[in-house]
Order: sequence, then structure tokens, then C-alpha cells
Amino acid sequence: MTDVLAVLPEIVVAALAALILGIDATVGEERAARWLPWVAAAGLVGALASGVYYPASGLFFRGFVEVDAFTAFFRFVFIVLALFTVLVAPSYLTRQHVPRAEFYATVLFSTVGAMTVALSTDLITLFVGLELMSIPVYVLAGLQRRDEYSNEAGLKYFLLGAFSSAILVYGFAWLFGIAGSTEYSRIAEAVAQEGLGSPAVIVALSLVTVGLGFKAAVVPFHQWTPDAYDGAPTPSTAFMSVAPKAAAFAAILRLMSTGLGPLHVDWVLVFAILAAVTMTGGNVVALVQTNVKRMLAYSSIAHTGYILAGVAAIASGASAGAAVLFYLFAYGIMNLGAFASLMYFDTGGTTRGATLDELNGLWSRHAVGAVAFTVFLVNLAGIPPTVGFLAKFFLIQPVLDAGFAWLAVAIALNAALAAFYYLRVVVHMFMYDADAKAPRLLPSRLLTASLAVMAVVTIVLGVLPDAIYAFALDAAVPVLVR
Amino acid sequence: MNLPVIDNVLTVLVVIPLVGLIPLLVVIRDARAAKQVALVTTFVELVVSLLMLAQFRVGEAGFQMVESVMWLPSLGIRYEVGIDGISVFLVVLTTLLTFISVLYSSAGVIKHRVGEFMAAFLLLEVGMVGVFLALDLFLFYVFFELMLVPMYLIIGIWGGTRRIYATMKFVLFTLAGSLLMLVAIVAVYLASGEPGQRTLSFQELVSGGVRFDPTFQVLAFLGFALAFAIKLPMVPFHTWLPDAHVEAPTAGSIVLAGILLKAGGYGLIRFALPLFPLGAQAWLPIIVVLSVIAIIYGAAVSTVQKDLKKLVAYSSVAHMGFVTLGIFVLNVQGGVGAVLQMINHGVVTGALFLFVGIQYEKTHRRLIADLGGLANRWPLYTTFFGVFVLASLGLPGLNGFVGEFLVLLGTFASDMRPIGGPVWGAIAAVGVILAAVYLLWMFQRVMYGTAREAYRDLPDLSPVEVAAALPLLVLTVVLGVFPQPFIDVIEPSLARMLDLADAALALYR
Repeated sequence: MTDVLAVLPEIVVAALAALILGIDATVGEERAARWLPWVAAAGLVGALASGVYYPASGLFFRGFVEVDAFTAFFRFVFIVLALFTVLVAPSYLTRQHVPRAEFYATVLFSTVGAMTVALSTDLITLFVGLELMSIPVYVLAGLQRRDEYSNEAGLKYFLLGAFSSAILVYGFAWLFGIAGSTEYSRIAEAVAQEGLGSPAVIVALSLVTVGLGFKAAVVPFHQWTPDAYDGAPTPSTAFMSVAPKAAAFAAILRLMSTGLGPLHVDWVLVFAILAAVTMTGGNVVALVQTNVKRMLAYSSIAHTGYILAGVAAIASGASAGAAVLFYLFAYGIMNLGAFASLMYFDTGGTTRGATLDELNGLWSRHAVGAVAFTVFLVNLAGIPPTVGFLAKFFLIQPVLDAGFAWLAVAIALNAALAAFYYLRVVVHMFMYDADAKAPRLLPSRLLTASLAVMAVVTIVLGVLPDAIYAFALDAAVPVLVR
Repeated sequence: MNLPVIDNVLTVLVVIPLVGLIPLLVVIRDARAAKQVALVTTFVELVVSLLMLAQFRVGEAGFQMVESVMWLPSLGIRYEVGIDGISVFLVVLTTLLTFISVLYSSAGVIKHRVGEFMAAFLLLEVGMVGVFLALDLFLFYVFFELMLVPMYLIIGIWGGTRRIYATMKFVLFTLAGSLLMLVAIVAVYLASGEPGQRTLSFQELVSGGVRFDPTFQVLAFLGFALAFAIKLPMVPFHTWLPDAHVEAPTAGSIVLAGILLKAGGYGLIRFALPLFPLGAQAWLPIIVVLSVIAIIYGAAVSTVQKDLKKLVAYSSVAHMGFVTLGIFVLNVQGGVGAVLQMINHGVVTGALFLFVGIQYEKTHRRLIADLGGLANRWPLYTTFFGVFVLASLGLPGLNGFVGEFLVLLGTFASDMRPIGGPVWGAIAAVGVILAAVYLLWMFQRVMYGTAREAYRDLPDLSPVEVAAALPLLVLTVVLGVFPQPFIDVIEPSLARMLDLADAALALYR
């Protein structure tokens, strides 16, 4: 029973997803459409509350699962992200004839998977969690069935995702071969004995890095990202650009620091180089995009690079872990908000987002939406007083502390480069006038209200971040390299 | 007469524009109401800043009215504000120029999206006032960047035809510099002590407990100095300035020249120099040479400008050269001169941009060749404009002279190696002569000669325009004739900054 209570939030979210499918089957989607998002939202709040009400800590299910501050932080992040996804999506789903109940249920199932990743202290749990998270996301990408780009996105994401899962599981097999166990603690002991001199360890480590690099969209394993993000229905893109990425980093942090901790210190240079390549690659390609949705897709690759820099700095202690966690949370809200801002545009049954020119004069057409979008872009650019700026500030600190001064400078220069394309969107919204080609805007009070709340949250946390940062510092303790 | 004493007056100064934003956002669609809210807010801010000035104790070198509250306890970062002789006039200058800009803009110059314009200006004022008050590097950075987005919007939305190119250039230049400064700030934080005792509080960093090793200082100084050199701007980072100034609306130009550039000079005196004296020494020869180049180059380029606004913009480059020169001759005379030069340049160049703007509103021409003979039509305009032009070229008795003179004195007195101060002083003095050349020549071409038929019936200054310009005229004369009271305020604090730098240097001897 304690085992079950320990994972109560996961159970609540899973049950919620099943409930929504049940409502879809009995009441019918059309009749439930109005209140279904609120059922999902209430259930998610309940899941969060259940975790607070039944606090647990320690190993459960015979060591397959560990509940600690790290888990709690990621539960909080995933539930908040799912909550905002559910609240921004309805108008888009209705207009574009995307099955709504299926969308909510799929998002929730994926959320359960992501939460499971953060729980896992065993390769089996980790793999189950990753797949439970990924498979619903492939579905989300292809959910707009009549649009060929959505189909392409779903198929591409599925094939490359399956491919990366295979690489990952092959790496797991090598780890099992080395340690004779799938438990992180046993693996840590075995790997420490072998050391980086052992070819088997190198193979295992490389395969795991590549596999998780795919999930997190690290350059050069990012090729699926632009098409999948661009072609997926926009609410799906908003969700899949944040939650699976956060889950991938939860896996990297937990596995690399507790399972492969003894080697991690020697492996960080690989992460540092990947980080620099990823942020630069993402930003450079984003510079030349004219479709804002695709531009944001490349920008999210760049942000993977920043976060990876924090992983590379793991040797500098809790501040590195906290920086990664805080960044994931901040990135989650600002990136979700940025993609969601594109949902105002009626794209007539396609998933293509909006071009820069179509954003012209959005300010005079929808002031709140334009201002909220601007706030998210300023967040992404890392300009104060926003949570996006603080995330970069917290990040640069461990990176410098770990001795990667060049990487810190790379982050700074990349942020300046990125500001160009973020602010170019603001130029189009505020400084050009709308013309006849501007697409129709969807009426959506719920979207506007949610975006306004998210924008305000990013600014409030940009001024008063201490509660979240202290939480992140706590949560980073279990993933300290020992 | 007993003036009211306001508690926590510095925080009140930061908060007033934010409070004003609330009613402004409510009435943002109503241009008239928005103007009134902005006028009242900036006027209250000006009055409070004057009361703050009255509370200031002259002769004290250290920080006054300090407020310090823990802001981010897990990092030891504080909300810490305070004021001393270096910053006190810059704050008052900020509130004055902001009020003048809002006053002038509300008289019909800004025609569309008036409410949003005023909102951007209030937000900008928070950043500008905060920059001069912040005593924690983190807080300083936040305010420094807070100035960026409103100015970006002001140039980009209400600017001229090439406004988007200009505003993007402005933002990207500034951001590239300030992000490197962010890295340097984080490095300072890490070097400030063991985990748990780290700080970014300026007062703690210079109190003697923290030592930065020489290589660190050279790099950290570079990080800070680059950000400030771009903001100031120093040659060769000045190329954003002419574009931004030419395209910005008049009010934007006034605060850009009057305040934003000063944030760069202020940052050098307040933070870069006392924190990293060894770094400053290492880079000093380059900065001095670049300053002298800026003085000569800025003047030379101003001479050949065809566009009136561009001429004033390039003259700013030359004037800012005096500021950096004065700071880096590292003596009290030069430093006091630099601070005075910043204040004077804020007053005079702010006024010049105001008058170029007024003139443009009436004639819709900015090319010098298209103008001429305005003196006959506009006696009032000519008088005001003439005084500011004379002040800008450094005529004794007006304020421009005092700062440049002290900087030159300080330069001649310094014993720089390998080439001594007198050489640089002599070259810089040529810049003063060149300033007379381009400014008088410009004045002659614009104001004298025969007036065009089209300009015959254009009205002279309106009462609002006189009201906006009068405080600046008074300051120009007062600062020029009685500079001593101002010097008395600035000198002790400036000497303290140099002493702090010396004390830090002594640790390595």
C-alpha cells in the first residue's frame, strides 16, 4: 500500500486520462467539449495536491522507483505544463477538427510517462517511462489526420523516435552486460570498477548519450525536430517541445549522476561540446526561418544546448542541477506560451503556424495576445526582468564554476544572436501594419486568459524566483555526483 | 523653509513610474487621459527627486539613503540602492529630461498610439532611475537591461523611415555587450567568496575582503568595459548611435543622448574602475587612445554631416570621448570633469535634440542644405538654440566649458606612460576647436541667410516648447557660471572611488 501511495500522483493522472476516454465514449465529445478541459485541469490539480498530501520519500517497488525532492520537482513541472497545454488548446482543436477528448487523454498519458522517467532508478522503469511518454507524443504529432504535414510529422517522429529508443535500449543492454543488473546503484559500482578505459563502458555510454540526445533534440541528433514540431498541430507542438525534453533531461541527470556518476566527471567534456554545437546550430538555422513555428522549433533546439551546458557543469554541485531544473521549468512555460501564441491564427485546417508577414500588426488586431507573445519572446531571449533571464543567470554560474569559461561566453554570444530573431517577431507584430493577407484570428477567451496568466507568471517569477530556485536546489541534491 | 523628508526615497523614485503605469494601462486607448497620467507621474517623480536632492548631505563621500533588503536569499543577492555625489545629479537629470520629453511629446508630436508611447516612457524611466541607484551588480544589470526593451519599442514604433534597421542595430549592439557583462558579473559573484558567502553588493566587494587576481581583473574589466563602451558609445562601437538618433522620435533622442549614454560612463566610474583597478590599468592605454580618437573623429565627422540630427549625434561621440578620457586619466580633476561633462552633455545635447525636433516638426526638413534664414522668422527659437550651440562648443560661462576644461586639466596633469598626459591633452584640445567649427558653421547655415518662402509663416516657439526648454537653459547658465556647488557634491565621492581603486591596487604592490 505504501508503494501505491508513493506514486499516487502518477496514478491520479493515469486514471484521469482513462476517465476522459470514458467520458468521450459515453457522453460524447461534442456534448462534453465545453467542460472537458476543466475536468482535466481539476484532475491535474488534484494529482499535484495528492503528492503534497501524501508525501513519500525513499525507494519503492523493490528499488524500481525512487521518490524524493527531484521527483517532486518534476511532478510539479510536468503537471503545470500539462495543465497549461489543456487550457490553451480547446479553440484550436475545435476549429481544426482535432479530436478533443483524445488530445487531452493523450497529453495526460504522456505526462504519466514523463513523471515515471523522473521516478526511475532502474533501467527498466526508465525505459517504460520513456516509451509511455513518447508513444502518445507520436500520436499527438499526427492527430490532425486530414493534414498531410501532420501525418508526415507523426510518421517521422515515430520512425526516428523508435530508432532512438532502439539505440538507447542497446546501450542499456551493454550496461546490463557490464553490471549484471539494471539498478542504477549496481551499475554505478560496476562502472566505477571498469573505468573509462574499458571499451564496453565507452560503447554503453556513447549509445545512451546518443539515445537520450535524440529525445532531447541535441545537435546532431535533432533532424526530426523541425519537421515534427512544424507539422504537428500547434497545441501538440507546444506540449511536445517542453515535456518530453524535460523528461529527457530528468533521465540524463538521474542516470548520468547516480548510475554513471563515477564516470560523469570525465564525460562532461562531451556534453560541453555537444552543448556549444547544439545552441549555435539551433540559433544559426533559426535566424533564416520565415515561418515562426519553424523558427521556434529551431529555437527550442538552441535551448536544449543551454540546458546541456548545465549538465556539463554537473561537477560544480547542486547549483548545476538546480540551474538545469530551473531552466527546464522556465523554458517549459515560456516555450509553451510562445507556441500557444500562434494558435490565434486560423490556418484553415492546416498545421503550418504563421509566417512573419502574417504576424504584421497583430498588436492592433489583438493587443493582449501580442503583448503576451512579446513577453514570451523576451523571456526566450533572456532579457530581465523575466524568468527566462534568471534561468540564464542561474545557468552561467555553475558553467563558469566548473571551469567552462568558453562555454559561458558561448551562451552569452548565442543569446545575443538569438535576440535577433526573437525581436524580429516583435518588429512584425508591433512595427508593421496589418495588410489584407493577414489570416483571420480565432476568437478565444480561454487562450487569451491562459496566455495572460502565463505571461504574468514569467514576470512575477522573474522578480521573485526564490521559492522555485530553493525548490530546485533541494531537488538537485539527489542527483549530485557522488 | 522645511522641506518634507521622505523615507526610503530612492525606492519611492523607482516605484512612482510603475505606479503611474497602472492608471495609464486603464486609460491606454484615451490619448488625452494617457498624456495627463504620464505628465502627472513624471512631474511627481521630478518633484520627489528634487526633494531627494534637498535631503542629500553635501560633502559626504560615501553612499547616502542606502536601503538594503535580501532579494534572493539562496544566492545572497540583495536589493540595495543608495546614492552619492556621482549619481545624485544623474538621477535628477533623468527625472528632468523624462518630464521634458513627456511634456514635449504630449503637445501633439506623437500622433498615433499615444497611450502606448507614454507607457513605454514610464517603463524606461524605471530602468534609467534604477541604473543610477543600484548598488548590487545583479540589480544594476536588471535595470540596465530594463532600459532596452522600451527604447527598442520607442525607436521601432514611433521612429522615422529606417526605424526598424536602427532599432535592431541598437538592441543587438547593446545586448551583445551586456550579455558579456553578465558573464563577468557571474564570474565576480563566484570569485567573491566561498559558497554561501558570495555577494554582488558593491559595498561589500570593495570593502577590502575580496581580492580578484590580476588575470581575472583583466578579463572581467573587459567584460564590463565592452558593455559600457557600446552603451557610451566609444569608437569603434559607436556605429549604432547615428542610426538610432536619426530614426528615434525627438523624445527618444533626448533621453537616449541625455541618459542612456550616461549609463555607460557611470558604469565605468562606479563599477569597472573601483572593482578591477588592475584590469583598468592594463586596458588604460587603449582606452585613452580611443577616447582621443573619438574626440577628433567625432568632431571631424560632424563637420561633414548633411543631416542636422546626425551632426548632433556625432558630436555626442566626441563629447563622450571627453568623458572616458576624464575617467581614465585617473585623477580627481579629470574624474570630476567627466561627471560634469556627463551632466552637461545630458542638458545641452538633450536640448539640441529637442530643438532639432521642434524645427523638424515645423519645416519637415532635416537636411542642413534645405534650411536657412530661420533667424529672421523665429527670434525666440534662435536665442534658445544659439545658447545651447554655444554651450555645446564649450564657450566659457556656459556649462559645456566647465567639464571639458577640467578633463583637459586632468589630462595635462597626469603622468601616463609611455606618452605623457600633455600630448593627449593637446590633441584633445584640438577637438574643442573643431567643435566650434562644425557647430558655428551649422548654426550659420541653418539660422542665417535667406529664408525659404515656405518657411515664412511658420510660428516661433509655442508656450509648451518654451516651458520644456526653459529649465535646460537655466541649468546651462547656472552650471556654467556657478559650477563650484556642483563640484563640491561630486568631488568627495569621486575621490572615494579613486581611493578605493588605489586601495585595491595597494594589495598587489
